[in-house]
Amino acid sequence: MKNRIEVEKITKDYGRGRGVFDVSFSVGEGEVFGFLGPNGAGKTTTIRQLMGFIRADKGSACIDGMDCFEKRADIQRHLGYLPGEIAFMEEMSGDEFLKFMAQMKEIKDLSRMNQLKECFELDGRGKIRRMSKGTKQKIGIICALMQSPEILLLDEPTSGLDPLMQNRFIDILLEEKKKGTTIFLSSHIFEEVERTCDRTAFIRSGELVSVSRMKDIQKSRKRIFEITFQKEEEKAEYLKKHKDAAPKRENVEISISRGMDEFIKELAGYEIADVRMRMQTLEEMFLHFYGGEDDE
Amino acid sequence: MNKTLWKREWRAHYKVLLIFGAVLSLYSVMIICMFDPKLGESLKVMMESMPQIFSAFGMASPGITLLDFVINYLYGFLLVVFPVVFIIILVNRLMIRYTDRGIFAYLLATPNSRTKLTFTLAGVLCQMVLILVVYVTLLTIAAAAVLFPGELEIGKFLLVNAGLLGLLFFLSGVCFLFSCVFSESGKAMGFGAGACILFILVQMLSQVGEKFDKLKYFTPLTLFQPEKIAAGNRAAVWMLLILYGTGFLLFGVGIRIFSKKDLSI
Repeated sequence: MKNRIEVEKITKDYGRGRGVFDVSFSVGEGEVFGFLGPNGAGKTTTIRQLMGFIRADKGSACIDGMDCFEKRADIQRHLGYLPGEIAFMEEMSGDEFLKFMAQMKEIKDLSRMNQLKECFELDGRGKIRRMSKGTKQKIGIICALMQSPEILLLDEPTSGLDPLMQNRFIDILLEEKKKGTTIFLSSHIFEEVERTCDRTAFIRSGELVSVSRMKDIQKSRKRIFEITFQKEEEKAEYLKKHKDAAPKRENVEISISRGMDEFIKELAGYEIADVRMRMQTLEEMFLHFYGGEDDE
Repeated sequence: MNKTLWKREWRAHYKVLLIFGAVLSLYSVMIICMFDPKLGESLKVMMESMPQIFSAFGMASPGITLLDFVINYLYGFLLVVFPVVFIIILVNRLMIRYTDRGIFAYLLATPNSRTKLTFTLAGVLCQMVLILVVYVTLLTIAAAAVLFPGELEIGKFLLVNAGLLGLLFFLSGVCFLFSCVFSESGKAMGFGAGACILFILVQMLSQVGEKFDKLKYFTPLTLFQPEKIAAGNRAAVWMLLILYGTGFLLFGVGIRIFSKKDLSI
Protein backbone atom coordinates (compact mmCIF):
# COMPACT_ATOMS: atom_id res chain seq x y z
CA MET A 1 0.00 0.00 0.00
CA LYS A 2 1.56 3.27 -1.04
CA ASN A 3 1.11 6.40 1.02
CA ARG A 4 -0.95 9.25 -0.39
CA ILE A 5 -0.56 11.61 2.55
CA GLU A 6 2.70 11.88 4.43
CA VAL A 7 3.30 14.20 7.33
CA GLU A 8 6.69 14.22 8.93
CA LYS A 9 7.50 15.95 12.17
CA ILE A 10 5.58 19.12 11.41
CA THR A 11 5.72 21.86 13.99
CA LYS A 12 3.75 25.07 13.78
CA ASP A 13 4.02 27.10 16.93
CA TYR A 14 1.47 29.86 17.47
CA GLY A 15 2.75 30.58 20.95
CA ARG A 16 1.02 30.03 24.28
CA GLY A 17 0.98 26.30 23.65
CA ARG A 18 -1.19 26.59 20.57
CA GLY A 19 -0.28 24.95 17.31
CA VAL A 20 1.03 21.50 16.47
CA PHE A 21 4.27 20.01 17.64
CA ASP A 22 6.30 17.29 16.00
CA VAL A 23 3.30 15.59 14.40
CA SER A 24 3.94 12.65 12.07
CA PHE A 25 1.58 10.24 10.38
CA SER A 26 0.80 8.83 6.99
CA VAL A 27 -2.35 7.77 5.21
CA GLY A 28 -2.24 4.96 2.69
CA GLU A 29 -4.07 4.60 -0.59
CA GLY A 30 -7.73 3.86 0.00
CA GLU A 31 -7.45 4.22 3.74
CA VAL A 32 -9.89 6.13 5.91
CA PHE A 33 -7.95 7.95 8.56
CA GLY A 34 -9.58 9.65 11.52
CA PHE A 35 -8.08 12.58 13.33
CA LEU A 36 -9.62 12.83 16.73
CA GLY A 37 -9.14 15.47 19.35
CA PRO A 38 -10.93 18.07 21.45
CA ASN A 39 -11.48 21.62 20.22
CA GLY A 40 -8.29 23.60 19.85
CA ALA A 41 -6.09 20.51 19.80
CA GLY A 42 -4.53 21.35 16.46
CA LYS A 43 -6.72 19.42 14.04
CA THR A 44 -7.47 22.37 11.80
CA THR A 45 -3.87 23.58 11.97
CA THR A 46 -2.78 20.20 10.63
CA ILE A 47 -5.35 20.27 7.85
CA ARG A 48 -4.35 23.81 6.89
CA GLN A 49 -0.85 22.57 6.33
CA LEU A 50 -2.12 19.71 4.20
CA MET A 51 -4.08 22.28 2.19
CA GLY A 52 -1.05 24.51 1.75
CA PHE A 53 -2.62 27.48 3.53
CA ILE A 54 0.19 27.68 6.05
CA ARG A 55 3.75 26.47 6.07
CA ALA A 56 5.23 24.43 8.87
CA ASP A 57 8.03 25.94 10.94
CA LYS A 58 9.70 22.55 10.81
CA GLY A 59 9.01 19.26 9.09
CA SER A 60 7.22 18.47 5.88
CA ALA A 61 3.73 17.68 4.67
CA CYS A 62 3.37 15.95 1.32
CA ILE A 63 0.49 14.57 -0.71
CA ASP A 64 1.41 12.17 -3.48
CA GLY A 65 5.02 13.10 -2.88
CA MET A 66 4.36 16.79 -3.61
CA ASP A 67 4.98 19.50 -1.05
CA CYS A 68 1.60 20.72 0.22
CA PHE A 69 2.51 24.41 0.12
CA GLU A 70 4.58 24.66 -3.04
CA LYS A 71 2.47 22.32 -5.17
CA ARG A 72 -0.94 23.14 -3.76
CA ALA A 73 -2.53 23.95 -7.11
CA ASP A 74 -1.43 20.62 -8.62
CA ILE A 75 -2.51 18.62 -5.59
CA GLN A 76 -5.97 20.18 -5.72
CA ARG A 77 -6.72 18.47 -9.04
CA HIS A 78 -7.36 15.22 -7.18
CA LEU A 79 -8.44 16.51 -3.81
CA GLY A 80 -11.73 17.42 -2.22
CA TYR A 81 -11.70 19.67 0.85
CA LEU A 82 -14.30 20.62 3.39
CA PRO A 83 -13.26 23.55 5.62
CA GLY A 84 -14.10 23.43 9.29
CA GLU A 85 -15.58 26.88 9.22
CA ILE A 86 -18.46 27.67 6.97
CA ALA A 87 -17.95 30.81 4.92
CA PHE A 88 -19.31 31.33 1.47
CA MET A 89 -19.94 34.12 -0.92
CA GLU A 90 -23.10 34.96 0.88
CA GLU A 91 -24.76 37.01 -1.81
CA MET A 92 -24.86 34.03 -4.18
CA SER A 93 -27.55 31.37 -4.21
CA GLY A 94 -26.54 27.84 -3.27
CA ASP A 95 -26.83 26.63 -6.87
CA GLU A 96 -24.85 29.57 -8.20
CA PHE A 97 -22.08 28.93 -5.73
CA LEU A 98 -21.91 25.22 -6.54
CA LYS A 99 -21.76 25.97 -10.25
CA PHE A 100 -19.10 28.59 -9.64
CA MET A 101 -17.02 26.13 -7.63
CA ALA A 102 -17.47 23.44 -10.28
CA GLN A 103 -16.12 25.82 -12.90
CA MET A 104 -13.24 26.86 -10.66
CA LYS A 105 -12.38 23.20 -10.23
CA GLU A 106 -12.73 22.67 -13.97
CA ILE A 107 -15.38 19.99 -13.51
CA LYS A 108 -17.27 19.39 -16.73
CA ASP A 109 -19.54 16.57 -15.65
CA LEU A 110 -22.08 17.87 -13.14
CA SER A 111 -23.92 14.57 -12.67
CA ARG A 112 -22.17 13.77 -9.39
CA MET A 113 -23.05 17.22 -8.07
CA ASN A 114 -26.72 16.75 -8.89
CA GLN A 115 -26.70 13.26 -7.44
CA LEU A 116 -25.28 14.61 -4.18
CA LYS A 117 -27.79 17.45 -4.10
CA GLU A 118 -30.56 14.90 -4.35
CA CYS A 119 -29.01 12.68 -1.73
CA PHE A 120 -28.75 15.53 0.77
CA GLU A 121 -32.11 16.93 -0.26
CA LEU A 122 -30.53 20.30 -0.90
CA ASP A 123 -32.66 23.11 -2.19
CA GLY A 124 -30.04 25.51 -3.45
CA ARG A 125 -32.29 28.17 -4.86
CA GLY A 126 -32.16 30.59 -1.96
CA LYS A 127 -29.39 33.00 -1.10
CA ILE A 128 -26.68 31.39 1.03
CA ARG A 129 -27.00 34.23 3.55
CA ARG A 130 -30.46 33.01 4.51
CA MET A 131 -29.53 29.36 4.83
CA SER A 132 -29.28 27.46 8.09
CA LYS A 133 -25.96 26.15 9.34
CA GLY A 134 -26.87 22.61 8.32
CA THR A 135 -27.79 23.62 4.79
CA LYS A 136 -24.54 25.52 4.42
CA GLN A 137 -22.70 22.46 5.65
CA LYS A 138 -24.40 20.38 2.95
CA ILE A 139 -23.16 22.82 0.31
CA GLY A 140 -19.65 22.51 1.68
CA ILE A 141 -19.82 18.72 1.61
CA ILE A 142 -21.12 18.70 -1.97
CA CYS A 143 -18.27 21.05 -2.95
CA ALA A 144 -15.76 18.61 -1.54
CA LEU A 145 -17.27 15.53 -3.13
CA MET A 146 -18.54 16.74 -6.48
CA GLN A 147 -15.33 16.23 -8.43
CA SER A 148 -15.13 12.56 -7.34
CA PRO A 149 -11.71 13.21 -5.83
CA GLU A 150 -9.09 10.58 -5.10
CA ILE A 151 -8.29 12.14 -1.75
CA LEU A 152 -10.71 13.77 0.68
CA LEU A 153 -9.77 16.15 3.50
CA LEU A 154 -12.74 16.75 5.75
CA ASP A 155 -12.64 19.04 8.76
CA GLU A 156 -15.44 18.12 11.18
CA PRO A 157 -17.78 17.13 8.35
CA THR A 158 -20.97 16.38 10.24
CA SER A 159 -21.12 19.49 12.39
CA GLY A 160 -24.46 21.20 11.91
CA LEU A 161 -26.11 18.21 10.24
CA ASP A 162 -29.16 16.57 11.76
CA PRO A 163 -28.90 12.85 12.67
CA LEU A 164 -30.61 11.73 9.48
CA MET A 165 -28.18 13.68 7.32
CA GLN A 166 -25.25 12.55 9.46
CA ASN A 167 -26.18 8.96 8.67
CA ARG A 168 -26.56 9.75 5.02
CA PHE A 169 -23.15 11.37 5.03
CA ILE A 170 -21.60 8.34 6.65
CA ASP A 171 -23.20 6.13 4.00
CA ILE A 172 -21.64 8.30 1.32
CA LEU A 173 -18.25 8.06 3.02
CA LEU A 174 -18.55 4.28 3.11
CA GLU A 175 -19.44 4.37 -0.58
CA GLU A 176 -16.35 6.46 -1.27
CA LYS A 177 -14.29 4.07 0.78
CA LYS A 178 -15.49 1.20 -1.39
CA LYS A 179 -14.43 3.17 -4.46
CA GLY A 180 -10.94 3.37 -3.02
CA THR A 181 -10.92 7.05 -2.06
CA THR A 182 -8.32 8.03 0.50
CA ILE A 183 -10.07 9.89 3.27
CA PHE A 184 -8.70 12.03 6.08
CA LEU A 185 -11.33 13.25 8.47
CA SER A 186 -11.09 15.20 11.66
CA SER A 187 -13.61 15.18 14.44
CA HIS A 188 -14.11 15.72 18.12
CA ILE A 189 -16.82 13.08 18.32
CA PHE A 190 -15.75 9.48 18.56
CA GLU A 191 -18.92 8.03 17.04
CA GLU A 192 -18.34 10.06 13.90
CA VAL A 193 -15.09 8.31 13.09
CA GLU A 194 -16.01 4.98 14.62
CA ARG A 195 -18.12 3.75 11.75
CA THR A 196 -15.86 4.79 8.94
CA CYS A 197 -12.22 4.86 9.92
CA ASP A 198 -9.60 2.17 9.55
CA ARG A 199 -7.12 3.96 11.74
CA THR A 200 -7.41 6.90 14.05
CA ALA A 201 -4.90 9.38 15.38
CA PHE A 202 -5.52 11.05 18.71
CA ILE A 203 -4.25 14.57 19.09
CA ARG A 204 -4.23 16.70 22.18
CA SER A 205 -2.61 20.06 22.89
CA GLY A 206 -0.96 19.91 19.49
CA GLU A 207 0.73 16.58 20.08
CA LEU A 208 -0.09 13.25 18.58
CA VAL A 209 -0.92 10.89 21.42
CA SER A 210 -1.36 7.71 19.48
CA VAL A 211 -2.28 6.24 16.13
CA SER A 212 -4.35 3.10 16.52
CA ARG A 213 -6.35 0.76 14.42
CA MET A 214 -10.06 1.24 14.87
CA LYS A 215 -10.64 -2.41 15.73
CA ASP A 216 -8.18 -2.21 18.62
CA ILE A 217 -9.72 0.98 19.90
CA GLN A 218 -13.20 -0.46 19.83
CA LYS A 219 -12.01 -3.47 21.78
CA SER A 220 -10.29 -1.42 24.42
CA ARG A 221 -13.04 1.15 24.70
CA LYS A 222 -14.71 0.58 28.01
CA ARG A 223 -18.35 0.64 28.90
CA ILE A 224 -19.12 2.59 32.00
CA PHE A 225 -22.03 1.49 34.18
CA GLU A 226 -23.73 3.66 36.68
CA ILE A 227 -25.60 1.60 39.26
CA THR A 228 -28.20 2.81 41.71
CA PHE A 229 -28.60 0.48 44.70
CA GLN A 230 -31.83 0.16 46.68
CA LYS A 231 -30.04 -0.30 49.97
CA GLU A 232 -27.21 1.79 51.30
CA GLU A 233 -25.46 -1.17 52.96
CA GLU A 234 -25.45 -3.15 49.70
CA LYS A 235 -23.85 -0.20 47.99
CA ALA A 236 -21.12 -0.10 50.61
CA GLU A 237 -20.62 -3.83 50.28
CA TYR A 238 -20.28 -3.61 46.51
CA LEU A 239 -17.80 -0.77 46.79
CA LYS A 240 -15.75 -2.79 49.23
CA LYS A 241 -15.69 -5.79 46.92
CA HIS A 242 -14.73 -3.84 43.82
CA LYS A 243 -11.74 -1.59 44.21
CA ASP A 244 -12.20 -0.11 40.69
CA ALA A 245 -15.76 0.99 41.42
CA ALA A 246 -16.20 4.58 42.52
CA PRO A 247 -19.06 6.37 44.21
CA LYS A 248 -20.60 9.03 42.04
CA ARG A 249 -23.24 11.14 43.72
CA GLU A 250 -25.60 8.56 45.28
CA ASN A 251 -24.63 5.97 42.65
CA VAL A 252 -21.68 3.75 41.87
CA GLU A 253 -19.69 3.94 38.68
CA ILE A 254 -17.67 1.07 37.30
CA SER A 255 -16.05 0.51 33.94
CA ILE A 256 -16.19 -2.88 32.33
CA SER A 257 -14.30 -3.98 29.27
CA ARG A 258 -14.30 -7.74 29.63
CA GLY A 259 -16.26 -10.14 31.82
CA MET A 260 -19.69 -8.76 31.02
CA ASP A 261 -21.45 -12.01 31.90
CA GLU A 262 -19.85 -12.18 35.30
CA PHE A 263 -20.72 -8.56 35.98
CA ILE A 264 -24.41 -9.00 35.15
CA LYS A 265 -24.72 -12.18 37.16
CA GLU A 266 -23.16 -10.63 40.18
CA LEU A 267 -25.46 -7.63 40.05
CA ALA A 268 -28.44 -9.99 40.04
CA GLY A 269 -27.67 -10.75 43.67
CA TYR A 270 -28.33 -7.16 44.73
CA GLU A 271 -31.43 -5.09 44.88
CA ILE A 272 -30.98 -2.68 42.02
CA ALA A 273 -33.02 0.44 41.36
CA ASP A 274 -31.40 1.45 38.09
CA VAL A 275 -28.50 0.66 35.77
CA ARG A 276 -27.32 3.00 33.08
CA MET A 277 -24.57 2.42 30.60
CA ARG A 278 -22.50 4.84 28.56
CA MET A 279 -19.40 4.53 26.44
CA GLN A 280 -16.14 5.94 27.60
CA THR A 281 -15.85 9.55 26.46
CA LEU A 282 -13.09 10.87 24.30
CA GLU A 283 -11.42 12.54 27.28
CA GLU A 284 -11.49 9.32 29.25
CA MET A 285 -9.92 7.52 26.34
CA PHE A 286 -7.18 10.11 26.28
CA LEU A 287 -6.46 9.36 29.90
CA HIS A 288 -6.18 5.76 28.87
CA PHE A 289 -3.60 6.60 26.21
CA TYR A 290 -1.70 8.73 28.66
CA GLY A 291 -1.50 5.70 30.91
CA GLY A 292 -4.02 7.00 33.40
CA GLU A 293 -2.25 10.17 34.45
CA ASP A 294 -4.11 13.38 34.18
CA ASP A 295 -1.87 16.27 33.31
CA GLU A 296 -4.49 18.94 33.21
CA MET B 1 -6.42 35.48 -15.02
CA ASN B 2 -9.08 33.02 -14.06
CA LYS B 3 -12.10 33.69 -16.25
CA THR B 4 -14.66 32.14 -13.90
CA LEU B 5 -13.53 34.19 -10.93
CA TRP B 6 -13.22 37.30 -13.08
CA LYS B 7 -16.82 36.96 -14.24
CA ARG B 8 -18.10 36.35 -10.73
CA GLU B 9 -16.30 39.36 -9.31
CA TRP B 10 -17.60 41.63 -12.02
CA ARG B 11 -21.13 40.43 -11.42
CA ALA B 12 -20.76 40.89 -7.68
CA HIS B 13 -19.30 44.41 -7.72
CA TYR B 14 -20.44 46.19 -10.89
CA LYS B 15 -23.11 47.99 -8.87
CA VAL B 16 -20.44 49.85 -6.91
CA LEU B 17 -19.03 51.04 -10.21
CA LEU B 18 -22.46 52.21 -11.31
CA ILE B 19 -23.01 54.19 -8.11
CA PHE B 20 -19.66 55.95 -8.32
CA GLY B 21 -20.15 56.54 -12.02
CA ALA B 22 -23.46 58.22 -11.25
CA VAL B 23 -22.01 60.40 -8.48
CA LEU B 24 -19.10 61.52 -10.63
CA SER B 25 -21.41 62.19 -13.58
CA LEU B 26 -23.35 64.56 -11.41
CA TYR B 27 -20.25 66.48 -10.32
CA SER B 28 -18.60 66.63 -13.73
CA VAL B 29 -21.69 67.89 -15.51
CA MET B 30 -22.45 70.32 -12.72
CA ILE B 31 -18.98 71.84 -12.80
CA ILE B 32 -19.10 72.24 -16.57
CA CYS B 33 -22.51 73.89 -16.32
CA MET B 34 -21.04 76.31 -13.82
CA PHE B 35 -18.39 77.42 -16.28
CA ASP B 36 -18.99 80.90 -17.47
CA PRO B 37 -16.18 82.87 -19.04
CA LYS B 38 -17.59 86.00 -17.37
CA LEU B 39 -18.03 84.30 -14.04
CA GLY B 40 -14.26 84.05 -13.73
CA GLU B 41 -14.15 87.62 -12.52
CA SER B 42 -16.56 87.25 -9.62
CA LEU B 43 -14.96 83.96 -8.53
CA LYS B 44 -11.65 85.71 -8.53
CA VAL B 45 -13.00 88.27 -6.10
CA MET B 46 -14.33 85.51 -3.87
CA MET B 47 -11.03 83.69 -3.94
CA GLU B 48 -9.06 86.76 -3.09
CA SER B 49 -11.12 87.10 0.04
CA MET B 50 -10.27 83.54 1.24
CA PRO B 51 -7.33 82.27 -0.77
CA GLN B 52 -6.22 79.55 1.68
CA ILE B 53 -9.48 77.66 1.65
CA PHE B 54 -9.63 77.60 -2.10
CA SER B 55 -6.07 76.46 -2.46
CA ALA B 56 -6.42 73.77 0.18
CA PHE B 57 -8.90 72.10 -2.14
CA GLY B 58 -6.54 72.57 -5.07
CA MET B 59 -8.54 75.37 -6.56
CA ALA B 60 -5.84 78.03 -6.56
CA SER B 61 -6.28 79.36 -10.05
CA PRO B 62 -9.76 79.26 -11.50
CA GLY B 63 -8.33 80.06 -14.91
CA ILE B 64 -9.90 81.45 -17.98
CA THR B 65 -10.28 78.47 -20.30
CA LEU B 66 -12.70 75.62 -19.79
CA LEU B 67 -9.77 73.22 -19.38
CA ASP B 68 -8.26 75.32 -16.56
CA PHE B 69 -11.63 75.59 -14.96
CA VAL B 70 -12.30 71.84 -15.07
CA ILE B 71 -8.82 70.97 -13.85
CA ASN B 72 -9.14 73.42 -11.03
CA TYR B 73 -12.52 72.30 -9.73
CA LEU B 74 -12.50 68.59 -10.57
CA TYR B 75 -8.97 67.26 -10.78
CA GLY B 76 -7.64 69.02 -7.73
CA PHE B 77 -9.91 67.31 -5.24
CA LEU B 78 -13.21 65.71 -6.27
CA LEU B 79 -11.87 63.35 -8.89
CA VAL B 80 -9.19 62.19 -6.49
CA VAL B 81 -11.23 61.77 -3.34
CA PHE B 82 -14.26 59.98 -4.77
CA PRO B 83 -12.26 57.42 -6.73
CA VAL B 84 -10.10 56.82 -3.64
CA VAL B 85 -13.23 55.92 -1.68
CA PHE B 86 -14.22 53.70 -4.61
CA ILE B 87 -10.83 51.97 -4.49
CA ILE B 88 -10.99 51.43 -0.74
CA ILE B 89 -14.44 49.86 -1.02
CA LEU B 90 -13.36 47.62 -3.88
CA VAL B 91 -10.18 46.40 -2.19
CA ASN B 92 -12.26 45.59 0.85
CA ARG B 93 -14.77 43.61 -1.18
CA LEU B 94 -12.28 41.91 -3.46
CA MET B 95 -9.46 41.05 -1.10
CA ILE B 96 -9.98 41.83 2.57
CA ARG B 97 -13.38 40.21 2.98
CA TYR B 98 -12.20 37.01 1.32
CA THR B 99 -9.24 36.49 3.59
CA ASP B 100 -11.03 37.69 6.68
CA ARG B 101 -14.08 35.46 6.29
CA GLY B 102 -12.10 32.53 5.04
CA ILE B 103 -13.74 32.39 1.63
CA PHE B 104 -10.25 32.06 0.22
CA ALA B 105 -10.30 28.53 1.62
CA TYR B 106 -12.71 27.63 -1.17
CA LEU B 107 -10.78 29.46 -3.86
CA LEU B 108 -7.62 27.67 -2.75
CA ALA B 109 -9.42 24.32 -2.86
CA THR B 110 -9.27 24.61 -6.64
CA PRO B 111 -6.31 23.94 -8.95
CA ASN B 112 -5.44 27.64 -9.24
CA SER B 113 -2.26 29.19 -7.94
CA ARG B 114 -2.49 32.02 -5.43
CA THR B 115 -0.72 34.25 -7.93
CA LYS B 116 -3.37 33.59 -10.54
CA LEU B 117 -6.22 34.21 -8.11
CA THR B 118 -4.84 37.47 -6.70
CA PHE B 119 -3.83 38.63 -10.16
CA THR B 120 -7.43 38.15 -11.25
CA LEU B 121 -8.74 40.12 -8.26
CA ALA B 122 -6.21 42.90 -8.83
CA GLY B 123 -7.21 42.87 -12.49
CA VAL B 124 -10.87 43.42 -11.66
CA LEU B 125 -9.90 46.35 -9.41
CA CYS B 126 -7.75 48.00 -12.10
CA GLN B 127 -10.33 47.44 -14.81
CA MET B 128 -13.05 49.06 -12.73
CA VAL B 129 -10.87 52.07 -11.98
CA LEU B 130 -9.95 52.32 -15.65
CA ILE B 131 -13.58 52.20 -16.71
CA LEU B 132 -14.53 54.84 -14.16
CA VAL B 133 -11.86 57.24 -15.45
CA VAL B 134 -12.63 56.56 -19.10
CA TYR B 135 -16.32 57.09 -18.46
CA VAL B 136 -15.82 60.41 -16.65
CA THR B 137 -13.44 61.57 -19.38
CA LEU B 138 -15.88 60.78 -22.17
CA LEU B 139 -18.79 62.24 -20.26
CA THR B 140 -16.92 65.49 -19.60
CA ILE B 141 -15.91 65.75 -23.25
CA ALA B 142 -19.50 65.13 -24.32
CA ALA B 143 -20.93 67.62 -21.83
CA ALA B 144 -18.41 70.24 -22.89
CA ALA B 145 -19.18 69.60 -26.54
CA VAL B 146 -22.88 70.16 -25.94
CA LEU B 147 -22.66 73.15 -23.61
CA PHE B 148 -19.52 74.91 -24.86
CA PRO B 149 -18.70 73.52 -28.29
CA GLY B 150 -15.06 73.84 -29.22
CA GLU B 151 -14.00 75.24 -25.83
CA LEU B 152 -12.29 72.15 -24.38
CA GLU B 153 -8.78 71.33 -25.60
CA ILE B 154 -9.32 67.61 -25.98
CA GLY B 155 -5.71 66.50 -26.48
CA LYS B 156 -4.53 68.14 -23.28
CA PHE B 157 -7.62 67.01 -21.43
CA LEU B 158 -6.95 63.38 -22.37
CA LEU B 159 -3.40 63.68 -21.10
CA VAL B 160 -4.66 65.05 -17.78
CA ASN B 161 -6.93 62.01 -17.47
CA ALA B 162 -4.09 59.66 -18.26
CA GLY B 163 -2.41 61.36 -15.32
CA LEU B 164 -5.40 60.89 -13.06
CA LEU B 165 -5.49 57.22 -14.02
CA GLY B 166 -1.81 56.92 -13.08
CA LEU B 167 -2.45 58.42 -9.67
CA LEU B 168 -5.44 56.15 -9.01
CA PHE B 169 -3.51 53.12 -10.24
CA PHE B 170 -0.78 53.98 -7.76
CA LEU B 171 -3.25 54.43 -4.88
CA SER B 172 -4.97 51.15 -5.80
CA GLY B 173 -1.57 49.53 -5.55
CA VAL B 174 -1.09 50.98 -2.07
CA CYS B 175 -4.43 49.66 -0.80
CA PHE B 176 -3.93 46.32 -2.53
CA LEU B 177 -0.48 45.86 -1.05
CA PHE B 178 -1.75 46.44 2.48
CA SER B 179 -4.59 43.98 1.89
CA CYS B 180 -1.96 41.38 0.96
CA VAL B 181 0.36 42.11 3.85
CA PHE B 182 -2.22 42.01 6.66
CA SER B 183 -4.57 39.12 7.24
CA GLU B 184 -6.62 40.92 9.81
CA SER B 185 -9.32 42.97 8.14
CA GLY B 186 -9.02 45.89 10.53
CA LYS B 187 -5.33 46.37 9.87
CA ALA B 188 -5.55 45.76 6.13
CA MET B 189 -8.36 48.26 5.81
CA GLY B 190 -6.90 50.75 8.29
CA PHE B 191 -3.47 50.93 6.72
CA GLY B 192 -4.75 51.11 3.15
CA ALA B 193 -7.43 53.69 3.73
CA GLY B 194 -5.28 55.47 6.32
CA ALA B 195 -2.40 55.91 3.88
CA CYS B 196 -4.70 57.35 1.21
CA ILE B 197 -6.37 59.76 3.62
CA LEU B 198 -2.97 60.84 4.95
CA PHE B 199 -1.70 61.50 1.43
CA ILE B 200 -4.72 63.66 0.71
CA LEU B 201 -4.53 65.59 3.99
CA VAL B 202 -0.83 66.29 3.59
CA GLN B 203 -1.45 67.59 0.11
CA MET B 204 -4.25 69.87 1.31
CA LEU B 205 -2.02 71.20 4.06
CA SER B 206 0.90 71.78 1.71
CA GLN B 207 -1.34 73.94 -0.45
CA VAL B 208 -2.56 76.37 2.19
CA GLY B 209 0.50 78.51 2.39
CA GLU B 210 4.22 79.04 2.03
CA LYS B 211 4.84 77.74 5.52
CA PHE B 212 3.72 74.19 4.71
CA ASP B 213 4.87 74.19 1.12
CA LYS B 214 7.66 71.71 1.85
CA LEU B 215 5.07 69.12 2.87
CA LYS B 216 4.34 68.48 -0.78
CA TYR B 217 7.46 66.32 -0.89
CA PHE B 218 5.83 63.96 1.57
CA THR B 219 2.80 62.96 -0.45
CA PRO B 220 2.76 61.00 -3.70
CA LEU B 221 -0.21 63.07 -4.78
CA THR B 222 2.31 65.77 -5.74
CA LEU B 223 3.37 63.51 -8.60
CA PHE B 224 0.07 64.29 -10.29
CA GLN B 225 -0.05 67.94 -11.34
CA PRO B 226 -2.88 68.38 -13.79
CA GLU B 227 -2.28 72.05 -14.53
CA LYS B 228 1.36 71.38 -15.41
CA ILE B 229 0.44 68.35 -17.49
CA ALA B 230 -2.02 70.52 -19.40
CA ALA B 231 0.65 73.15 -19.85
CA GLY B 232 2.87 70.52 -21.45
CA ASN B 233 5.47 70.46 -18.68
CA ARG B 234 7.86 67.59 -19.38
CA ALA B 235 8.71 66.96 -15.75
CA ALA B 236 5.00 66.58 -14.94
CA VAL B 237 4.70 63.87 -17.59
CA TRP B 238 7.77 62.07 -16.24
CA MET B 239 6.26 62.10 -12.78
CA LEU B 240 3.25 60.29 -14.21
CA LEU B 241 5.46 57.52 -15.45
CA ILE B 242 6.81 57.21 -11.92
CA LEU B 243 3.23 56.78 -10.67
CA TYR B 244 2.51 54.05 -13.20
CA GLY B 245 5.84 52.36 -12.51
CA THR B 246 5.47 52.29 -8.73
CA GLY B 247 1.85 51.22 -9.17
CA PHE B 248 2.98 48.13 -11.04
CA LEU B 249 5.62 47.47 -8.44
CA LEU B 250 3.12 47.72 -5.56
CA PHE B 251 0.75 45.26 -7.22
CA GLY B 252 3.61 42.91 -8.04
CA VAL B 253 4.99 42.96 -4.51
CA GLY B 254 1.48 42.50 -3.08
CA ILE B 255 0.77 39.42 -5.19
CA ARG B 256 4.19 38.00 -4.37
CA ILE B 257 3.71 38.50 -0.61
CA PHE B 258 0.26 36.98 -0.75
CA SER B 259 1.46 33.85 -2.51
CA LYS B 260 4.10 33.23 0.13
CA LYS B 261 2.28 34.05 3.31
CA ASP B 262 0.46 31.91 5.86
CA LEU B 263 -3.30 32.10 5.57
CA SER B 264 -5.21 31.15 8.66
CA ILE B 265 -8.44 30.38 6.90
